Amino acid sequence: MSADRIIKLELSRLNLHLPERRLSLKEALSSPRPQVAARDGSMHVFKREELKFLAGLLPEADRDKLQLPILIAMEPKLGRGTARISGEVEVKVVSRVLEKEGAAGELLIYRPEVAILRRKLPTTTQYLFMW
Amino acid sequence: MSYKIAVVGDQDTVTGFALAGATYSHIHTAREETLAKLNEFFASGEIGLVLITHRIAEELGFDFRQMLRTKRLPPLVLRIPDKTGYMPKVDELREIIKRTVGAEIMIKKEGG
Amino acid sequence: MAVALAVAPTRMELLKLKQRLGLAQKGYDLLKEKMDALVIEFFEVLRRIQEARAKALEQLSVAHRALSMCFAIVGTLETKQASREAKRELQVEISTRHIMGVAVPAVEVGDVERNVLIRGYGLHMTSSVLDEASKEFERALKLLIELAELEESAFAVAREFEKTKRRVNALDYILIPRLKETIKFIMMRLDEMERENFSRLKRIKAILEEHD
Repeated sequence: MSADRIIKLELSRLNLHLPERRLSLKEALSSPRPQVAARDGSMHVFKREELKFLAGLLPEADRDKLQLPILIAMEPKLGRGTARISGEVEVKVVSRVLEKEGAAGELLIYRPEVAILRRKLPTTTQYLFMW
Repeated sequence: MSYKIAVVGDQDTVTGFALAGATYSHIHTAREETLAKLNEFFASGEIGLVLITHRIAEELGFDFRQMLRTKRLPPLVLRIPDKTGYMPKVDELREIIKRTVGAEIMIKKEGG
Repeated sequence: MAVALAVAPTRMELLKLKQRLGLAQKGYDLLKEKMDALVIEFFEVLRRIQEARAKALEQLSVAHRALSMCFAIVGTLETKQASREAKRELQVEISTRHIMGVAVPAVEVGDVERNVLIRGYGLHMTSSVLDEASKEFERALKLLIELAELEESAFAVAREFEKTKRRVNALDYILIPRLKETIKFIMMRLDEMERENFSRLKRIKAILEEHD
């Protein structure tokens, strides 16, 4: 049924903008042109100001643990208007950016917070659509 | 890739932007002529930005809007006011907001 | 009212339809999340457009005022002559970047070395008023380049949003109701057939018992 094929196609397209492999903050900072290759073939460049801003929020030791881009997970299970940040260091840094508390390793954020995060870190965060 | 800039406008607009560095220009007099010139600009492949005044864009009407819908990037096209500052009553961006996202804003306000 | 699909009322079909319904609902939920993300991105671009527009339009009026002054002092004809002879050329670098998978243009003013820096107006012209007008228009041009990039980006994101919304609506108003309707129909028919079977078996049993 062609409708099903269209649905499957749309679903497969959802995360094409994400990279196969992420870069750690440390790697990105030391690279002359910090970027990752997205699954759709395009190159996604990280802005240096954002990298510096992130570095300022974390101790040296965490810099090679923070994987970029930070993924903002949109999952229907969470309900519309809610997104999730996963990863110990990721949660730490996003909590600091949004000035809110995050429980170990996982943080739920709401639409207005997603907007703030995207405004402050436009190239170092990306949406991830999960089911 | 490097591209040049073109401007379509009245005498003042064209003079000003030519001084600033626009490579190509066209002073608008007749509708058909201007549309043809725009087609030329869009097809040239070496123009990255076309500035055109709101007044002229309005006068060109549907044909111009059609060209905008069907063209590829480059060039980018930007409508600007002329020296009188004329801007149309209908802001295209506002219309897009109302048409596509407007309903979403309503839902957002109600449903949170 | 949704029209049921024409399928044979069998358990196999029922299972297939339930799977298709699951897929359609998953697609619907996820595309709605995509729409939410596109709205967030769209409004951010819009916010930047408002700022950029205000700055660019203000500078453009300043430029036009400087030009009027130039016309008045240097002369209209002379100014136009100068603009024709101006050896200045500003170029733009256009590349592509992506907002959430949507291709948008990235526009930068070209390398300074590539631009002809000498404002040659012709042998007989040097004028600070002319210089002033050129400078103001150049400032305006740079701000307008930024604005053009933002406006195109907004249009691109809006287009993707509309496309996604059409898919969501097709799922919500056409496919999902149709699947649900068909599932309902098949379940009813299967029920009926089972009841018919059951009463037939009862009658056969009664006849057999009579003969014993």
